[in-house]
Amino acid sequence: MDSAPSPTHGAHSATAAEPAPPPLPVKLVIAGGFGVGKTTAVGAISEIRPLTTEAAITEVAAGVDDLTHTPGKTTTTVAMDFGVITIDPTLKLYLFGTPGQDRFGFMWDDVVEGALGGLVIVDTRRLDDCYAAVDYFEHKDIPFAVAVNAFDGEVQHELDEVRWALDVSEHIPLTVFDARDTGSVRDALLVVLDVAVARAKSAEPA
Amino acid sequence: MTDTDGPEPDDVAAEPSPTEAPEPTVRASAIRPFLLTAGRVAGGGTAPPLPVEAQVVATSDGLSALRALAFERHDIVAACRRPQSVAELAAQLRLHLNVVRVLAEDLCTAGHLSVHVPDARTVQDISVLRRVIDGLRAVPDSRGTLRDSS
Repeated sequence: MDSAPSPTHGAHSATAAEPAPPPLPVKLVIAGGFGVGKTTAVGAISEIRPLTTEAAITEVAAGVDDLTHTPGKTTTTVAMDFGVITIDPTLKLYLFGTPGQDRFGFMWDDVVEGALGGLVIVDTRRLDDCYAAVDYFEHKDIPFAVAVNAFDGEVQHELDEVRWALDVSEHIPLTVFDARDTGSVRDALLVVLDVAVARAKSAEPA
Repeated sequence: MTDTDGPEPDDVAAEPSPTEAPEPTVRASAIRPFLLTAGRVAGGGTAPPLPVEAQVVATSDGLSALRALAFERHDIVAACRRPQSVAELAAQLRLHLNVVRVLAEDLCTAGHLSVHVPDARTVQDISVLRRVIDGLRAVPDSRGTLRDSS
């Protein structure tokens, strides 16, 4: 059940001389506006210091529904931070903080494809910044939860107000967390995984 | 590779910028990397690009051929003595993600690397999700000092 080699990339996966198979990699995506605490959250729970790599992000005009055939899209290179949690020797969880600036539009399919789920981080002082992420996960039908980052322990709006303002439906979990706190980030990610489990169960044949 | 911090790219050291303070973090150059791939970009063909989390491991053939490999190809195979993701490889070697994708696919074709792409059905696999949940629950309320990746 470990990573089954794909026909395109796995041509050499079955070399008999391999010592131990690599762990099965799974990933969660952490999204939200710029400066909302994505890297802080990754760093709070990752077992290594967050790493940065340059990723190519396809930039699209906001509000375009069919992203794949947009003629005017361009590719922008942005820094992407990520962290790692070794679940056990055979399973590794990667956390990718997606570049969240509005002007990059939302086409990080490249990073999000195959994610177990997503956590959208919200700063209640700048609610607008996370609309794109919420829309994206809804549109892509990826399990997700919304977590309000309580800067300095303060949340400026009631959760009901936040839910109303973001227009997220009742079945999307909405929590408050502290991106600097390991346990708090862990619990927020567990909320995402609960959504993923519920989704997987509902997809199972009865 | 024994260097825990990854190699310094040659071009950074060679860049004459006497008046400017050095950048705190070295960013991969946007132009030079694609010279390495002869201008090719990941996913240019019919196959989808390697997932960022795909695991890359050096084969014994790759390790024996290490002396014959130069520059980035050498660095990639050497770094892959230990399995790691495409993203970790890019970060460690300070290469653009898509450059690593192209080179890793080349090296895989040449038999120097094996690339393990996760099954798309994993996201719906409840047993995997449960293992992730159990693993996360085991994370303590606070982490000690983070170690740098090696």
